[in-house]
Amino acid sequence: MWVYEKKLLYPVEVGTCNPTLAKYLMEQYGGADGELAAALRYMNQRYTVPSKVIGVLNDIATEEFSHLEMLATMIYKLTKDATPEQLVEAGLGAHFVNHGHDLFYENANGVPFTATYIQAKGDPIADLYEDIAAEEKARATYQWLIDVSDDPLINDSLRFLRERENIHSLRFRESVELLKDERDRKKIF
Amino acid sequence: MSAFEEEREMMLRVQQADFVVVELTLYTDTHPDDAEALGQWREAIKEAAHVRRQYENRYGPLSLASVPTEQALEIGWRWNSTPWPWQR
Repeated sequence: MWVYEKKLLYPVEVGTCNPTLAKYLMEQYGGADGELAAALRYMNQRYTVPSKVIGVLNDIATEEFSHLEMLATMIYKLTKDATPEQLVEAGLGAHFVNHGHDLFYENANGVPFTATYIQAKGDPIADLYEDIAAEEKARATYQWLIDVSDDPLINDSLRFLRERENIHSLRFRESVELLKDERDRKKIF
Repeated sequence: MSAFEEEREMMLRVQQADFVVVELTLYTDTHPDDAEALGQWREAIKEAAHVRRQYENRYGPLSLASVPTEQALEIGWRWNSTPWPWQR
């Protein structure tokens, strides 16, 4: 189970209302390499992996939910005061017609989230390689977001998230090595 | 410092202390035999609990794992009180 903590993992502050930037950030909210995909992927894989790597999947999945909350906070703050005209101008007219000012799990192009973004292969090495790739793709996406964003406050939060993807990738790569060591030891006996 | 800034400063300290725990937990997940890291991890949890108590004594519980003070309830604090994290 989980207990909610009434705080963000890392501060999220916003310069000005900026629905264009919010639209781009949706890529990491409900996109293929986004935080929802990451959280759901790891949370689902943790049940059947060898015990040595359950902790990594459990704890990174939990952290991804806190990243999802940071993204939601950015998108909410960047759009809450936007007029319908500003949303249309930012390319969020279709979003507004369907969802009003609500958030939705969709990518920057408005494509809704789908479980087909993620996989569970029944093979821990294959799954961990997918997880490493997911972290690297998320890291790259954060870099592109920083490149197109002109909000220094948002960029501070995005840089934090980009660095976390690096750490997660590293921990998953170490997990692969732990499993390979275990496999090789079994062969000796 | 305004009351708003003071609260934000204390919240930042909680976020920093909790982050050290998050980071060391992930590290010890894949380095279970690193005695030095395990020591740092224990200390980080102690420090995070200490900083959290300081915050919660002034501003109310951050989770339902903490007991609200009677004084907080008397002055109207409720779990449902704003701001929620995205409203700050």
